[in-house]
Amino acid sequence: MDKDEQSVPDWEEVARRYGRFIFTVAYRLTGNEADAQDLVQDVLLRVRRGLPTYRPGSMEGWLSRITTNAFLDDVRRRRRRPLEALPDEPDRVVPPSVGADEALEATALPEDVQAALIALPEDFRAAVVLSDVVGLGYAEIAESLGVPIGTVRSRIHRGRALLREALA
Amino acid sequence: MNHLGDLVSALLDGELTAGERAAAEAHLAGCPDCRTEMARTAAMRSLVRGLPPIEPPFGFVEGLVRADRRRRPAAVFAAAAAVAAAVGLAVTPRSDGVAPPVGRFVEAHATATPGGDPVTNLGPPSVLPVSFRP
Repeated sequence: MDKDEQSVPDWEEVARRYGRFIFTVAYRLTGNEADAQDLVQDVLLRVRRGLPTYRPGSMEGWLSRITTNAFLDDVRRRRRRPLEALPDEPDRVVPPSVGADEALEATALPEDVQAALIALPEDFRAAVVLSDVVGLGYAEIAESLGVPIGTVRSRIHRGRALLREALA
Repeated sequence: MNHLGDLVSALLDGELTAGERAAAEAHLAGCPDCRTEMARTAAMRSLVRGLPPIEPPFGFVEGLVRADRRRRPAAVFAAAAAVAAAVGLAVTPRSDGVAPPVGRFVEAHATATPGGDPVTNLGPPSVLPVSFRP
């Protein structure tokens, strides 16, 4: 066995070791246990197909990319048409949430934050989850979602602004 | 400079170039609106970052692993069967006492069969020859 083979993990090992991580990302994206389970199942099938070509690196980055894409594919399939994202032009200024109660935001419960996430357009949700749940940098998010970095900046900031509005 | 807009999050996330960062910080110093925006965005960011990991339902991942094992042996066994078939040609059946005593069975049958000719062991004809009608 050569070095590469040793560093490519076995599928069952990935499932067991990263199952909770994938489930967490899936739950943040879908907002409920049943859809999260379906998504994890889909992700693990994709992992099975992708493992032979996996290049040792950030396993969590790779898995969250697969999870996000599986999620967005499913959203598109269900709608049978492309995502109707809000326009991405970076110049559009986010309306300031006048009167937003910062104290309320600060004490928001995880369930409230999750509900606000689910209220986001899927493309924005995916960017925010990759940034703030997974902790990826903008370059990796751009690569994962197949969009320019400027779009990632815009989606993350506007996503956060929309979350604030939802929790205000 | 215009208000920071999307750059607020990029600044918080450490995703601005050195030049952009310097310009953004200079703007922030003189713009209370952007400082407020920055503080609110930072609070929201912390809320999402503070979300806890979620445990999958008990046995869920293990169930997927086991279901996968049940599905996959089909491929594994097919390969194993092909190997066994190739190797099997060279394998002779075992002869450890399972050969039936054929001779003894024939003898027992012959002596136990009632009626008929003891030599030919044929009974009387039960069907008469068919005659053709004109």
